[in-house]
Amino acid sequence: MKGARAAVELLEEQNVKVMFGIPGGVLLQFYDELVQSDIRHILVRHEQCAGHMADGFARVSKRPGVCIATSGPGATNLVTGVATAYMDSSPMVAITGQVATNVLGNDAFQEADAFSLMMPITKHNFRVTDPKEFPETLKKAFLIATTGRYGPVHIDIPVDIFSADITDEQMSKEVRVPKPKRNLTGLLDALKLLENAERPTIMVGGGVTWSQAGGDIMRLAEMLMCPVVTTLMAKGSVPENHPLVLGVCGMHGRQVANYALNNCDVLLAIGTRFSDRVTGKLSEFGTKTKVVHVDIDSSEIGKNVKGRVGLVGDAWTVVNALIAGMQQRKKAPTWKQKMLDLNKQCSCDYDLTSEPLKPQKVIHELSKHLPEDAIITTEVGQNQMWALHFFKCYGKRQFITSGGLGTMGFGFPAALGAKVAAPDRVVADIAGDGSLQMVIQEFATAMENDLPVVIALLDNGWLGNVKQWQKLFYGERYIATKFGRNPDFVKLAEAYGAEALRVERPSEVAEAIQRGVKAEVPMLLDFIVDPEEDVLPMLPPGKSSGDCIKGRCRWKGGVC
Amino acid sequence: MEVMMLLVYDQPGVMQRVMGEFNRKRINVETIVVGKCEMADKARIVLSIKDREKAMSVLEHLRALHEVIDADLVEQERHEAYALLFSKEGVCRVTGTVEEVDSIVGKSKPERYIQAMNAI
Repeated sequence: MKGARAAVELLEEQNVKVMFGIPGGVLLQFYDELVQSDIRHILVRHEQCAGHMADGFARVSKRPGVCIATSGPGATNLVTGVATAYMDSSPMVAITGQVATNVLGNDAFQEADAFSLMMPITKHNFRVTDPKEFPETLKKAFLIATTGRYGPVHIDIPVDIFSADITDEQMSKEVRVPKPKRNLTGLLDALKLLENAERPTIMVGGGVTWSQAGGDIMRLAEMLMCPVVTTLMAKGSVPENHPLVLGVCGMHGRQVANYALNNCDVLLAIGTRFSDRVTGKLSEFGTKTKVVHVDIDSSEIGKNVKGRVGLVGDAWTVVNALIAGMQQRKKAPTWKQKMLDLNKQCSCDYDLTSEPLKPQKVIHELSKHLPEDAIITTEVGQNQMWALHFFKCYGKRQFITSGGLGTMGFGFPAALGAKVAAPDRVVADIAGDGSLQMVIQEFATAMENDLPVVIALLDNGWLGNVKQWQKLFYGERYIATKFGRNPDFVKLAEAYGAEALRVERPSEVAEAIQRGVKAEVPMLLDFIVDPEEDVLPMLPPGKSSGDCIKGRCRWKGGVC
Repeated sequence: MEVMMLLVYDQPGVMQRVMGEFNRKRINVETIVVGKCEMADKARIVLSIKDREKAMSVLEHLRALHEVIDADLVEQERHEAYALLFSKEGVCRVTGTVEEVDSIVGKSKPERYIQAMNAI
């Protein structure tokens, strides 16, 4: 059979039901074969969004998302989507078409060296130059994306591969990739540290979301009588209405979570890479703390925090090994009681009624009125940080955000991908006006493919997070952060055929959200929020926890 | 000086991927030798870098690459160098430790010479 036919059959064999992309000259043969396939192809309006949609799809379905773009500009547009997935360890197979092998490197029309471009932002990538190896390469890509630490895999396919002959023997070739290493030799040391700890704390990261080990971690936390803090990437992996869960830590995290992180004597860190947004000043982080670091990726252990007991394995396996080996914890549960009390006191003032409308109020109402199995995505910036701090994730709620790369414009397409994976669940994107304008064309994709998501737009007319930094650290010298001429977002959404509503009063918020949840088409809720509102509390970058800017925060639990 | 040895698949793009890890971590490679080896379709990379801590920090990342089969530090006994000395009589090839080669170059005062340090 021809390479193009083989590609479609191999994708079907990998149980691919949906792919996101835009065709182009070098992909015509492939798309022609798609006509007869049951694979649903979602035509996006910009390749970057094909990447984000595949990413959102993967984070909900826990299966690799597939996106495809043509050579040259298609491939370069896809780069941001792939890099975002890479930083957040999301499984993805990204396919790009390429000019024919006999002109590769000759600056052919629409040629870009996609193989080199994608190399540092993928778990692995391939350029197929021999049709014989094409079937096994495609199989390998799926295997690599989902073995060990998840990640995107890219395949660059020159156009002549699609017309080359592929034999049945080549199609049926079995492939293998090395099994991830597991190293639990430090298990006894880890158990001893945890059992003898006076003030143990568990910090969970994105790895826990991927391995779905939240339930087991709560069991361990109850055995250890210790609080659990999460990173941004782990929000939603443990129930935030559980009294031992202190919520998200870090730069804009909850004070009680940072208190636990900085005052514990033993920290059990699971599936997290100690990002600078979590640790602040690395040199001061955990100076009093012994760290047990669990990660599926051995290269993460000791990368950012030195001096630790390292356990290499996936979160679920290691946590269950810890549970199995745990004897009685020796110290009295005073630490647990203290953290439960502090957690109760760490209650935020949502400023529920004042005008202009406060973004915290919007998040609070979203938290209240979205169903318990809703999927929330965010853009990047203040909207994301308000969502992190004020939205409560419990039950089956899922929180999807671009944590590592911090890609503005991620949330809307990711919400569409999530809706494809879970059409029966309510999907809401918490957006900002800066981020949304980077991907607003995807309203067309949403309409065309019947993907009714809610966009809760926190519209303040600024690139708010950058503005906040200019305000706090650059003496209010604002430049290039105010949008002088924003479009009328309501009219814009309506032009695409979506529904839209402008909301300016606190009293109208709840009703608007309820309408959004029930809407049968994509619905934009344009919340005009107070542009003077900052995301606080805030731990300034590179500073340690004593330098926290508190704002409205009423935390009285002491330096955290 | 730390010497590192990698066993990799012998195919296009491997060097770029391996060097990418050094590039990201801002590690300068002092010397590098690459070639086919006793195993079919595999190649060996031998390279040296100055700092042991940096060498250790990049090792796990190299091992995680799908085209790298094995990566480790190797014990090395001495710093090698070689030189080509050009004179009226012809070309003279010198190999030995860095000190030996330095000393011969110094003594023989050639018209022109090229020297590679830290050869491995």
